[in-house]
Amino acid sequence: MLSVDQVTVKRGRVRALDDISLRLPAGQTLAVVGESGAGKSTLIAAVLGLIGLANGRISWDGAPVAHCRPALVMQEPRAAFNPRLSIRQTVLEPVVAARQPLPADRLDYLCDRLELSTELLARRPHEISIGQAQRAGILRALLNAPPLVLFDEPLSALDAVTQKHTAQLIADLQAEHGFAALIVTHDLGYAAAYSEQIAVLRAGRIAELAVTARFVRAPASDYGRTLRAAAVALGALDDSA
Amino acid sequence: MSRGSLLVTDLSVQRSGRVLLHPTSLQISRGERLGLVGASGSGKSTLGHALVDTLRAQGRRVAHVPQSPDEALDPLRSMAFQWREAERALGLAPDYARQQQLCTALRIAVDQLGQRPWGWSRGMQQRFVIALALLGTPELLVLDEPTSALDPVIAARTMKLLDSVLAHGQTAILLITHDLGLAARRVDRLLVMHDGHIVEDAATAALLAHPRTPAASALTRHRSWLTLPC
Repeated sequence: MLSVDQVTVKRGRVRALDDISLRLPAGQTLAVVGESGAGKSTLIAAVLGLIGLANGRISWDGAPVAHCRPALVMQEPRAAFNPRLSIRQTVLEPVVAARQPLPADRLDYLCDRLELSTELLARRPHEISIGQAQRAGILRALLNAPPLVLFDEPLSALDAVTQKHTAQLIADLQAEHGFAALIVTHDLGYAAAYSEQIAVLRAGRIAELAVTARFVRAPASDYGRTLRAAAVALGALDDSA
Repeated sequence: MSRGSLLVTDLSVQRSGRVLLHPTSLQISRGERLGLVGASGSGKSTLGHALVDTLRAQGRRVAHVPQSPDEALDPLRSMAFQWREAERALGLAPDYARQQQLCTALRIAVDQLGQRPWGWSRGMQQRFVIALALLGTPELLVLDEPTSALDPVIAARTMKLLDSVLAHGQTAILLITHDLGLAARRVDRLLVMHDGHIVEDAATAALLAHPRTPAASALTRHRSWLTLPC
């Protein structure tokens, strides 16, 4: 289980995260939603240990998160790959870094599940589509079978149909492999469809933390209601049933 | 052809020998609300640009709002300067009352017009670009993914303000988006693009209920993330 306890992160005098506490059990999904600048990506950086905490503690099963070798799927899929290397070379970098042999069929199996061909892995980032690049990013994240995967706006660069397809692939792979997913997204529709819990961040604080089904029915906070109304107005949540 | 409607015939676009837009004809009635949807790379923006160019060449008043305000605003000039520039380009005399009225309607802070774009939030930048686009009361406003650079709360507010500003019915809109959910609520007629062709052209309700092509069914199937319980 991922435990975030009373975490504060300061950037200069601003509290980028202010007294954040969360629990994400193994195998489950926690969606972190909120507007630009709310602190969503800072939370990811804090969980990964990339920035120091002014206060609080973050752990996985009681140990530092780094010990569980968490993986990250980034927002801009093509920018997340080294333009000089083939997709295959970049995808295998974490495997080389982990110095643990990969089960023989794991690469083939994940490629098959993520609809990535051997031929495609030989290409460079600019020679594949954004949707393919994001699936390759997911492949890279899952190769070492991490118990915790962080997703930073994993769908926002994709078109609507590709978004839904990729979201379903992530959910299917999660069901098969049991990793916990912390998904940062500004899309409440995605969060509502694919998470057990939703944390609404605003100006570095948690405005609302709720079980997703409850939040979707009736947010308890004013800001939660604003987000829900926006998702309905933009068609991400359909109220026409 | 009805009075005030816009018509283009056999519009096509090729680039380095590749056909990006196959010959397309399109009629848009006055004040019509039209959506152009399709996957990334299907040719939506290409059609949008070609339509703007062709109609302008016919002498029609057409305005274009790009996806990101960065594409439309000069970072080195004040907003007030860019407003005057837009008026001049349209051959309009400076009109303070019109500026007040548009800024109020689109919730743009008039007292901040002396600033450059980087002092402004993205939402207000995008509303400013929309205000400039509406200056000459265009016959057609082409909105190319107008909300995808905005976060959802700001995006929803922007679309609502836009709806209220366009309520007079003089200006037709062409809303270009990959997101059928966004288009479904605010347009009367939908065009579906696939591989440089318009493959469907139907009233919104009819298309949502009975998509006829695979491209349209994919979009309707993936229209929203979740249907809320009543």
